[in-house]
Amino acid sequence: MKRELKITVNGDLYDLYVEPGTLLVEVLRDKLGLTGTKRGCDSMSCGACTVILDGKAVKSCTILALQANGKEVTTVEGLANGSKLHPIQQSFIDHWAFQCGFCTSGQIMAAKALLDENPNPTRKEIKYAMNGHLCRCTGYNMIIEAILDAANRIQEEAK
Amino acid sequence: MASDFEYFNPGTLDEALNLLSRYGKESKVLAGGQSLLLLMRRKLVAPQYLIDIKGISSLDYIKVNESGDLSIGALTPHRSVELSRKIQQKFSILSEMEQDLAAVENRNWGSIGGNLCHADPAGDPSPVLVALNARLKIASVRGERNVEVEYFARDRFKVDLAHDEILTEIQVPCPALRTGSRYRKFSRMEGGFAIASVAMSITLNAESDICDDVRIVLGAVSVSSRRAREAEKVLIGKEITDELLSEAGDIASEEVDPIDDMRASAAYRRELIRVLVRRVGKEALLRAGNDSWKGISFKDTGRAALLGRR
Amino acid sequence: MKHYHVIGEDAPNIDGFAKVTGQAIYTFDMTLPGMLHGKILRSPHSHARIISIDTSKAESLPGVKAVITAMETGERRQGAWRRYPELCDEPVLCLEKVRYIGDPVAAVAAIDEDIALEALDLIEVEYEPLPAVFDPMEAIKEGAPQLHDDVENNINLTRHIEWGDVDKGFEEADFIREDEFILPAQSHVPLETHGSLASFDGGNNRLTLWTSTQTPYYVQCLLATAMNLRENGVKVIKPHCGSGFGGKNELFADQFCAGYLARKTGRPVKIVYSREEEFTCARRRTPIHYYLKIGAKRDGTFVAKEARAFSDGGAYTSMGATLLYLTGWFSAFPYRYPNYRYDGYKVFTNKSPSSSMRGYGGIQANFCGESQIEMLAADMGIDPVEIRKKNAMYPNYEVPGQATIASCGLPEGLEKIGEYIKERGNLPKDHGIGLACYGFNSGGIFNWFNTPYAFSGAEVRINIDGMVDVYSLAADVGQGADTTMCMIAAEELGVHLSDIRMHSGDTSICPSDLGAWASRETLMMGNAVKMAAADAKRQLFEIAASKMGANIVYDLEAGDRRIYLRDRPERGLSYYDVVRDAIRAKEGSLIVGRGHYTPHGKGMISPAFSFGVQAVEVEVDRETGYVKILNVFTAHDSGQVINPVAIRGQVEGSIMMSAGYGYSEEMLYDGGKVLNPNLVDYSLIGYRDMPSAVTVDCPTYEPEGPFGAKEVGEGITCPTAGALANAIYHAVGVRITDPPLTPEKILMALKEKSA
Ligand code: FES
Ligand code: FES
Repeated sequence: MKRELKITVNGDLYDLYVEPGTLLVEVLRDKLGLTGTKRGCDSMSCGACTVILDGKAVKSCTILALQANGKEVTTVEGLANGSKLHPIQQSFIDHWAFQCGFCTSGQIMAAKALLDENPNPTRKEIKYAMNGHLCRCTGYNMIIEAILDAANRIQEEAK
Repeated sequence: MASDFEYFNPGTLDEALNLLSRYGKESKVLAGGQSLLLLMRRKLVAPQYLIDIKGISSLDYIKVNESGDLSIGALTPHRSVELSRKIQQKFSILSEMEQDLAAVENRNWGSIGGNLCHADPAGDPSPVLVALNARLKIASVRGERNVEVEYFARDRFKVDLAHDEILTEIQVPCPALRTGSRYRKFSRMEGGFAIASVAMSITLNAESDICDDVRIVLGAVSVSSRRAREAEKVLIGKEITDELLSEAGDIASEEVDPIDDMRASAAYRRELIRVLVRRVGKEALLRAGNDSWKGISFKDTGRAALLGRR
Repeated sequence: MKHYHVIGEDAPNIDGFAKVTGQAIYTFDMTLPGMLHGKILRSPHSHARIISIDTSKAESLPGVKAVITAMETGERRQGAWRRYPELCDEPVLCLEKVRYIGDPVAAVAAIDEDIALEALDLIEVEYEPLPAVFDPMEAIKEGAPQLHDDVENNINLTRHIEWGDVDKGFEEADFIREDEFILPAQSHVPLETHGSLASFDGGNNRLTLWTSTQTPYYVQCLLATAMNLRENGVKVIKPHCGSGFGGKNELFADQFCAGYLARKTGRPVKIVYSREEEFTCARRRTPIHYYLKIGAKRDGTFVAKEARAFSDGGAYTSMGATLLYLTGWFSAFPYRYPNYRYDGYKVFTNKSPSSSMRGYGGIQANFCGESQIEMLAADMGIDPVEIRKKNAMYPNYEVPGQATIASCGLPEGLEKIGEYIKERGNLPKDHGIGLACYGFNSGGIFNWFNTPYAFSGAEVRINIDGMVDVYSLAADVGQGADTTMCMIAAEELGVHLSDIRMHSGDTSICPSDLGAWASRETLMMGNAVKMAAADAKRQLFEIAASKMGANIVYDLEAGDRRIYLRDRPERGLSYYDVVRDAIRAKEGSLIVGRGHYTPHGKGMISPAFSFGVQAVEVEVDRETGYVKILNVFTAHDSGQVINPVAIRGQVEGSIMMSAGYGYSEEMLYDGGKVLNPNLVDYSLIGYRDMPSAVTVDCPTYEPEGPFGAKEVGEGITCPTAGALANAIYHAVGVRITDPPLTPEKILMALKEKSA
């Protein structure tokens, strides 16, 4: 039986009805058309589905949509301000921190959660915080450099 | 995923217990869901009723009482355990363990109690909590009971929980003075699941360097965390040396009956246990030696009491 | 050196904005109104005869719109080796027999995924299990179960390569080594699994397929054949693609099942592989039993080499046929062997077909070859760098009777590596540095697909505002081919990157290209795009020359949106003005340039070769066997660099994949069943495992390449695993010949050594 789901996604409140077995990622992608969030595994191991839920990075492939009832979700679509990219997004472009781009939304959302919590991370801290994210293309180092650079940019902007 | 189950999300423990007593066998309790949903997706589990307790906020807490005993609500996220000041100060082994448990995203959503109830043999919290001599509080409409963590997991993915019961709290006694503990796992990839792990807690005599108490816990090598009791005997009552730790490692690797699976052979697990016991023992010992009244900056009546006795 | 305006400088990915905002659309993200979801029923047996298939229960399940079996697809077999129809041996859907766990048997289209899955359970297939064989060395034995009726001893193919007099060479050798190696399977693990969305226009009998592929043109042709449509009755569109690494080079079940189901239901059908299907039913890197013999003179000069390879080819030929040749070719790389002999055998086994994968055939040859050279150097007491220097290929070297190596930066690379090792000085305890040299094709020449078109074709159109539209079927699967092509077009036309608009991935509007394999795009499509741009530029120059009225002896040049006299650059015209005049002069039609490239006069292997050498430093924990890969230093030659940052991306990504091959990635089998078809138990190198990497460029000029460029991305995948094995040897003295070099294997070898 369908249940009501009230969920705020990228600042917009949605009032939906979903089957209890529906996953958060399914609501985002299939119901709301926010296909920036990807799925790369069936086992909670790739991080491609990462979104920010009430301020914390989570894997939307293993959360029931109803568990996000009343909560706030930010997806990759919610980062840029119109055509002005978030500094993390800009750094990813500048550092060639993606290739195929399929893991990228998840990487960016995790980086966002990391920098929100720790605005000035070391290389090692980045490696630890991002370790749940697989990327088959880049070899990670260029993503790490993008995050380090983004941290600087955010601090510059705040000045 | 197919939704042929009825879904409940009780807001209080009482509600949850009532639901469980009603639906018992046909139901499954969902904490974070990171393990259960995977099983359901593969159709390995197909409950008729899903009781989602994630929303019971009263089970999300970290408390230290006046005697220094720690209690953690079963639904406390891993990440809270990892970042808790109280835990970092006095139970650092717990937060260290959490730092290396899966990914940040998993730690944000999953809870320490959910992890214990899943009883994956490669789980990290279980060996650490056994080393800390922790107990669990379990509730049902019939009442409450306690069980030692050591005896909670019965087999792989099987725990001592009746169909109407919920794990509510993890209770960790204040470590005795001059206690040091350490946990290390060996994984093929950094931060990956354990192939073998060892948690050790060593308590030294207040006046000499004799080992008064030791708990050596082996993880990921058996169907559940096991104490290496023979190896413990090597150390108890003695002043611990490198040689003794090596001997304890040798004995532990002999007394364990390791699993043999695609992640590692039994023979290799034995070797890992031998090395880990020695290495972890050394670190725990160092911590025990350094653990003195002076280093503690916060009020600690539990220890004060101990000191008084001394 | 010539000064360039665009190439040689870091350029951002032209798809950057789309990819960082989540707007980039992959096949995985697509839906169409009325779309159905398809699922594929796969064989649970390694080898079995199909007695009967009953789909009636599935068909009557509410929500199911169609079920297909071999009754529809018929006896038709498919494969990419069109030049040799007997090698196109893969049933579209299995009719009589299944040959591996995962062989497709039927497919269902339903209104949602859950119903489609439920329907699969309702299809009743009666099988008669047959004995199966999984190891190539068993499969070639007399009496082994036979997979294909017409293929005795399961020997699918043999290849022989020979030059010089090998036996005489060995007679002259002062030192000889013989070694055996067993190379494992590896999974491509593209983050986006295989997937397709098909839509059929029944009125015109035409199919449109959006699919995650590296080879839109192959899919077009092969699907047309499989569905009995005319070649251009199939239009293939490759949206953004979540990578391939060689695993998306052929026609796959998602593509033909979606196509058939769309035709049958009259509705769009989408099929996406699960991660488990990706591991068990797609392709994998070819496992090989390798035998190598090498002979050298006292001074370290190689005099002869002999190689024998038995490949675990899986159930069908697939692209594995190419492997059999390539691994033999690369076993003689990148050194000068005056005498060389190779015999390769591709053997059928009851496992998923092994096929193309980044570093195709090269990584296996490299692991064995570089391990053996290191062992030989140790036997002979020669320094590992010196023995390589003595034998390395150099510019204009001719591989006897096979190919001419034009540009080659290997000698310079070895100098740089030598300096690096000197700089590192004495290493801490249990550290070791290992080396491996590599070289790789920039595209293949042998036309096994039998294309009547040029290997790469491109078109350039210049609009009135100077915007340049480039049409190229080069498949950007993440490597950045689209950006590279834009850079090449911009450089040639003398405009900025922002003046270029790319149209790629649609077989109905782009001239043909063979696809993104064999590291061919930069050189082949690069040449085609450059030629198309040059064609358009020539038309602009006609107008510019007449307007400027310059002396006939002056040459024109284009750069920075100007057209000017090469020797008097201050005399020139604005590019935009010239474009406007040119279009007016052409009675208002667009400026169109065409280009194409097919290698000619370059033998049958490859028009050019990349080179390099890599040093890997590790620290080994002697008590657990754990290896920390600390740093990877690479000296790489890919000719004139087009986009440096993209090259770095290729190098680092290759290191991740090759280190995985050497250390952690392993498809574990119980018979024909994959035990770890998921990303929990199949271990990829992660953030914390990834070493730091430093890459230095050894620039050369490749005469056959666009602006002197050649490949990067595959050659660089070859060395890390072998260098890692050598590094572990130098750190703790154990030699392991069957990657991955897991901690367990290392520890057990250490124990054996000390016993
Ligand atoms: S799709 Fe969620 S972790 Fe892979
Ligand atoms: S960019 Fe392709 S997987 Fe990360």
